[in-house]
Amino acid sequence: MKRLFAILFTAQLSQLTSMAQVGQPYIHDPSTIAECNGRYYTFGTGVGGLISEDGWTWHGGAERPGGGAAPDVLKIGDRYLIVYGATGGGLGGGHNGRILTMWNRTLDPKSPDFHFTRPIEVCSSDGMEDQDAIDPGLLLDPTTDRLWVSYGTYFGTIRLIELDPATGERIKGNKERDIAIDCEATDLLYRDGWYYLLGTHGTCCDGVNSTYNIVVGRSRSVEGPYLDNVGRDMFHGGGRMVVAAGDRKTGPGHFGRTVIDEGVEVMSCHFEADLDRSGRSVLGLLPLLWRNGWPVAGEAVKAGTYEIQSERRGYSLELAVDFIRMEQERERFWDMDLTKPLKALPEQRLEDVVATWPEGNIPLRCGDYMFRPHQHWTLTPVPEAGGTLCGPLFTIQIAGTRRALTATASLELTTCDFQGREGQYWRIEQLTDGTYRILPHTIPGQSGRNTRYCLYSVGDSTPTLAEYDFHSDNSKWNLRRQ
Amino acid sequence: METRKPKARQVREKLCGILLTLLFFAPLTAGAQNPIIRDQFTADPTARVFDGKVYLYPSHDILSPEEQERKNWFTMADYHVFSSADLVNWTDHGIILSQERVPWGNPKAYSMWAPDCVCKDGKYYFYFPDAPKSGRGFAVGVAVADRPEGPFTCEPEPMPGVTGIDPCVLLDDDGSAYIYWSGMGLRGARLKENMKELATESQAMEGLPEGFKEGPFAFKRDGWYYLTFPWVRKQQGGTETLAYAMSRSPLGPWDFKGIIMAEHANRCWTNHHSLVQYQGQWYLFYHHNDFSPRDDKRRSARIERLAFNPDGTIQEVRPTLRGVGISKATERIDVDRYSEAGDVVTVSYVDSLNPFQGWSVMLPRKGSWLRYADVDFSTVKDGYLVVCVRAHANTELLVRERSPKGKVMARMPVTVVNERGPFRRDMSGQWLTLTAPLVFVPQGTADLVLTCEGEGVEVDWLQFKNRPEYFVPASGAEARPDERGFIRRWMLLEPIRQDVRSNVVFTNTWLREAFGKTYFKDQMTIRPKDGQRVKVGQQTLRWHSLDSRNYNVKLFRFAERWGEQTYGSLFWGVALVDSPEELTDVRLAAGSNGASMWWLNGEEVLLLEGDRRMVEDDGMSGRLTLRQGQNVLRFALINGPGLSDCCVRFLDEKGNPITNLTIR
Repeated sequence: MKRLFAILFTAQLSQLTSMAQVGQPYIHDPSTIAECNGRYYTFGTGVGGLISEDGWTWHGGAERPGGGAAPDVLKIGDRYLIVYGATGGGLGGGHNGRILTMWNRTLDPKSPDFHFTRPIEVCSSDGMEDQDAIDPGLLLDPTTDRLWVSYGTYFGTIRLIELDPATGERIKGNKERDIAIDCEATDLLYRDGWYYLLGTHGTCCDGVNSTYNIVVGRSRSVEGPYLDNVGRDMFHGGGRMVVAAGDRKTGPGHFGRTVIDEGVEVMSCHFEADLDRSGRSVLGLLPLLWRNGWPVAGEAVKAGTYEIQSERRGYSLELAVDFIRMEQERERFWDMDLTKPLKALPEQRLEDVVATWPEGNIPLRCGDYMFRPHQHWTLTPVPEAGGTLCGPLFTIQIAGTRRALTATASLELTTCDFQGREGQYWRIEQLTDGTYRILPHTIPGQSGRNTRYCLYSVGDSTPTLAEYDFHSDNSKWNLRRQ
Repeated sequence: METRKPKARQVREKLCGILLTLLFFAPLTAGAQNPIIRDQFTADPTARVFDGKVYLYPSHDILSPEEQERKNWFTMADYHVFSSADLVNWTDHGIILSQERVPWGNPKAYSMWAPDCVCKDGKYYFYFPDAPKSGRGFAVGVAVADRPEGPFTCEPEPMPGVTGIDPCVLLDDDGSAYIYWSGMGLRGARLKENMKELATESQAMEGLPEGFKEGPFAFKRDGWYYLTFPWVRKQQGGTETLAYAMSRSPLGPWDFKGIIMAEHANRCWTNHHSLVQYQGQWYLFYHHNDFSPRDDKRRSARIERLAFNPDGTIQEVRPTLRGVGISKATERIDVDRYSEAGDVVTVSYVDSLNPFQGWSVMLPRKGSWLRYADVDFSTVKDGYLVVCVRAHANTELLVRERSPKGKVMARMPVTVVNERGPFRRDMSGQWLTLTAPLVFVPQGTADLVLTCEGEGVEVDWLQFKNRPEYFVPASGAEARPDERGFIRRWMLLEPIRQDVRSNVVFTNTWLREAFGKTYFKDQMTIRPKDGQRVKVGQQTLRWHSLDSRNYNVKLFRFAERWGEQTYGSLFWGVALVDSPEELTDVRLAAGSNGASMWWLNGEEVLLLEGDRRMVEDDGMSGRLTLRQGQNVLRFALINGPGLSDCCVRFLDEKGNPITNLTIR
């Protein structure tokens, strides 16, 4: 008992842990996350960009010449195509915009292969039209292998042009097409027979007061029309919200989508101001969910205590310990004294039951959720232990204890004292349908990061580790905050 | 021994040839300048007029492949044909014959030199030199087609009795035909009816001067036969001129007359040509190594106008960059292909590694100028000038009509370094596309002159663009909403100056104060007439009755045209809306870039606040009643920086647009 109290509340640490990217993730107008030799890169307005080893901790160091604004990057074959606006748009800069493309074989500035090709202009705005050629976004259409760029800002229209994916040059004779107004920092994506145009609406560059937000419309053709959920054309200002301010961060803008696995998608953006970081503009990475064919941002998993509920049956992940009955003075229902005052009964507490639990390893099962201590799990982000694009690593411990969910070498689960060892750090990723998958970051006896085995309902009552399958509810869990 | 190709492959190649001929239509927009074909080399240009169009049969220089025996020599593997109706826009009809498809030719000789093509009795006869499979030197073949662009069928054997290159055929008025070629001097003979065989022994052309000659081109004009040819005159540098002789009979003897074009100034060794009359004007087609500065074996076709003296002699032609044809002002004009220049104007490749990217021209100092002839301005309405320029210091470029002192059409400040304010930037040495309004537009076709008014400036191209039509003066007594119900007819007041530098101030309280102020007399009751003036502080402003071309009323463009400033403006608008009956439970649906307030019949019905963009149906009024007869819809819209505009319509209870209205 004494020992137990001594080790209580390691989760307190989480109170100070920001859910934004850690490190120095300061950027504006980030490009879609690109991967190169196991590292992640994103480029912003200005000359530089950010690099991350694990996807969650970001620091400066990426290099992009040419200045200007709001690049995008796409790997095509074994090369990276970088597209950027040579000008800055806006008032002092005028609306005489130019968009350029260039290639590099690597994004690693330390690589001997790091060399950008000469930039080629692919489109421009002449300063007299309702258009400003900045903020390009790339889409390589997976159904046709055609390469598209959307670009433009509030000054007039968003335009679509086609490039040659072999050269990065404009397709000869390609005429630009106006597909939207009233937004900027657009990006295109394709999913399940639909093309989506994501744009940023609201006020930019006003720190904590920036109302920037990301909206979307969709079309059966890449050339539009892109309609929103009430049928309004984005060319008439339509758009459905994907993400707005929240979680102490304002002004999400400049959407990018990264598909990590089937059903696992991440959106990148910047937040104009992070209230926990002096209101600086920071990189944002959020789960990307799909609801009725529309993309919406999920939320980062917050530190706290949760029920972990299986999507398979709805049972709750729990310690395989005795069910300890709660005492209750029962009244017979045909003999209730309605004049007696009602009172609130206390819930079962950890200290009521913990002494009945065995020492050492306790196995797991799933059962009816009864909000009992053996069913309450504290999730604690541990970014210093690593992370992924989906978030920092977590520990998963029975609330109020150091008893940690642990993956074993035999691909089973147990709980034991937290030692920070293999099998005790977890990736928690929100899937596109809003459920979660939960993977041990490493598994004892297996080398490297685990991307294959997840917490899995092999029976209604039996959790295990098994291969992730988006098409099976056995792979999916819900987190219900307590 | 030559191995025979499998039959299937022969058929496939034949099909390929036909497909290429039929499908490989690549319309080129050359731009009326020299050289005329901008995506490949085109040497030895023979131009012919068929069916009212000019057809061009050049040789097709390419870079020497590895397998070619003689390196960096003339290299031609096939022929393309091009056509044009205006000598400006050329259509490439693709490959009409290639060396593998000449039955008697060596398929790896790369010797498909200067050709010709004539039409007789509805058949097109294409004459070309090629290296035979066996033996040395050159023979001349014939291929026949029913159309000028083919498909051509090649005769199985070369023409007997013709050994040499550069065939040319003259069709005489009496139906007889003569062939000329170059083989140990210039030779000629009469052709048989079948156009494929010689009717007479070939003979040397007599009366021509000493010195190397090749590439004969013969034609007849006003009873004179002309024999024209590249000629090396010994005393002047030893490269080719274009020269000619005249005679009263087709095979001479000839009377040498002199030079049509002097040696190329850059020592490009060859020249080769044809003369053609088209729509009353004679033209000289010739070549130069425009796209191959370090190698004069890759050449490009050019055109100049040519004139005859009364005695039939030819006036000497000077090569120009400008060439012939009329350039449309509204298409890109490469002014580096100028007609004439003062001072030390220099032309250089935009990309020295890829000459096909074209050229730019440097006007090195104040007073430098160039003239570009024959620009058609008839398509310029409400236009502006776009120029692609590069400079190393701030300077100014003027575009004038006709001469260096001519009337100014546009002033183009070239500001590459901006040291002031928060938007410092240095764009020196970068190619920039800049725009300037037009202060004067010439009528019809005119020459334009670029003058440098400061530090040196380099120009790649310029173009005149028409602005979109945003508004037209209201026409007709009344207008209807468009099919989606948007009201497009408005009485708009020229914008009132406002000191608003950022739109973040547009709070409810701020806007009520701003829109509540009285700016002019009868502000909330006025039913203005077109042209009516009101006084607002120091400003005298006019009402304009306009129909918007767009469903959204582009107030920014209204301000640009009729206002003092675009940003920092307060707009007022009035629409008199007639309803045939009383309509209850309707809503006003509006969107505005900038904050706006809307009044119906004097009552405030909607306020759109904040830093806002124009979204269709962004804000809705409460349920309203439109009276039978006239209703007054009034708005005020304020914007700092941004593209001010608004869209407004009435919707019924179910959200359907109300279109059964008239607007005065």
